[in-house]
Amino acid sequence: MENAEERIGASRLTLVGKIFHHLGMFFMTRTLGQQVCLFFRAIASIFSKTRSFKTDSRNIILQTFFTGVEIFPILFIVATLFGAVVIVEVMTLMGKMGFDDVVGNLMVVVIIRELGPILTAFLIAGRSGSSLTTYVGSMVINSEVDALATMGVDPIRYLVMPGLIGGSIATLIMTIFFSGSAIGAGFLITKAAIFLTGNALNLQLTWDYLSNEILKALTTMDFVLIVVKPLVFGCIITTNACYQALNIAHDVRQVPKATSRSVIKSFLYIVCADVVLSLFYFFDYFNELSRII
Amino acid sequence: MQDEALRIEDLHLTYRGLSGTAFSKPGAYGFFSTIQQHDDDAELISGANLSLKRGETLCIGGPSGQGKSALLRVIAGLARPSSGRVFYFGEYIPPERLTALEVAKRQVGLVFQNGALISNLRVRDNIALPLRYHKKGSAEEIEEKINMALDLMRVRDCANMFPHQLSVGMQKRVAIARSWAMDPMLLLMDEPTAGLDNYNRRNLLPLIDNMRTLFKTSIIIITHDLMIAKELGCNLCFLYHKKLTEPHSFDYWLNADNDISKVLFRDLRTSG
Repeated sequence: MENAEERIGASRLTLVGKIFHHLGMFFMTRTLGQQVCLFFRAIASIFSKTRSFKTDSRNIILQTFFTGVEIFPILFIVATLFGAVVIVEVMTLMGKMGFDDVVGNLMVVVIIRELGPILTAFLIAGRSGSSLTTYVGSMVINSEVDALATMGVDPIRYLVMPGLIGGSIATLIMTIFFSGSAIGAGFLITKAAIFLTGNALNLQLTWDYLSNEILKALTTMDFVLIVVKPLVFGCIITTNACYQALNIAHDVRQVPKATSRSVIKSFLYIVCADVVLSLFYFFDYFNELSRII
Repeated sequence: MQDEALRIEDLHLTYRGLSGTAFSKPGAYGFFSTIQQHDDDAELISGANLSLKRGETLCIGGPSGQGKSALLRVIAGLARPSSGRVFYFGEYIPPERLTALEVAKRQVGLVFQNGALISNLRVRDNIALPLRYHKKGSAEEIEEKINMALDLMRVRDCANMFPHQLSVGMQKRVAIARSWAMDPMLLLMDEPTAGLDNYNRRNLLPLIDNMRTLFKTSIIIITHDLMIAKELGCNLCFLYHKKLTEPHSFDYWLNADNDISKVLFRDLRTSG
């Protein structure tokens, strides 16, 4: 270690310099730090000298199509059934306990705030994140990424950046679709269920009531976070997927391992990021509380 | 120093450095992790010196497993030497900036042993990819350049095929065409003739010769096929016992009285 420090001149650094050097090394040797670096390099590569709007937008649109549109049928079914279940459960439980006025609040919290973005992100991580890892990973194995670099084509710009931008955009669109179809189509399914069972659950559900309750419960923060959350999740999924893929060290057996790592770690990071983003709601809540008091 | 294409001074490479510049990691990380010396590091190349003039061709031979391809990866910036300096056209790139992208900016091309074509692009798009990326001229100029490269390597017929539809030899020819289209000043070729039939090998050699004379391209060829050196009339050097020997002509090696000649030129001597 001393030898290495001498050779880069780290032993000549001042105390502050040494602290920053060690901080930087600590950050760079951790997976999270490297992923953050990869994310910022991908963002920076948008503005590189060789940018060409036509090619970039084509790549991004292709990636958005791949990530978003092809997953839509599955996402739609999941969202609809999930929305129907939530509507039925909330209406019956709350109706029984006499909390009819919080139905809208609960719907917003469950579908729009929390589970909508998270379930969409999970679906996209499981499908598009894993396929992105496999795609880039097999390029690494076949030394195609090396070939790109020796031609002067930045692999981060050519492979990671379109995935990152396209993935985030697709996650945003899909989350909005998810929330929409969970409430809209979920309502229809619930109505159909009520009709088929002869209203065995004794639910008094109308579209007027449901939409009014939900619109009343929506706050400005919801509209901000419905955009921020999916974008953050999309960035996490694609950065993580590309990081795991580019980290493969020329061994075919590492590709499936990297793929499963990509999916599982995406889940973990998404939930962690969700907790961090939920803090905004808590702050909002405390502000409200102090105002009331 | 104007006519110098490449100079390597006292290059050392360990197995650890071979993993090189992983693109997922920050550039500085690779630098700091390579210069940390470990006691168990086995050296692959210890002390290589090389100097190459503009327009000069050099063949590097040697038994397999001696790190010839690794040396080429170092020159292309894909592997990180543990010490030593590499000068491209008289310009020294410090180790913290020595990456493949930085080297590629100096118009250094590399032809991989397996071709390494992008498998989801057609042959034509494979050749066009770097040209379009670097915006080398208008669409018509690029198209013209692609056709020229395809004609040169005689792969015009399969311009609209995917790489997996081609044979290994054809993939290699496409890879050479792709490198050629970028107008490299220094071209590194890893086993260009392996997998080529005699007819195409004969066609490839004049092409290399043309690039040398017309475009003043410096070429380094890694090869087992020592006859290339004779046919191109270029110097040969060997990577032998972790050292790079002095470059000498084919005839010198044929008649020299040392280990390398005895081992590698035995067949050529007897056959005449």
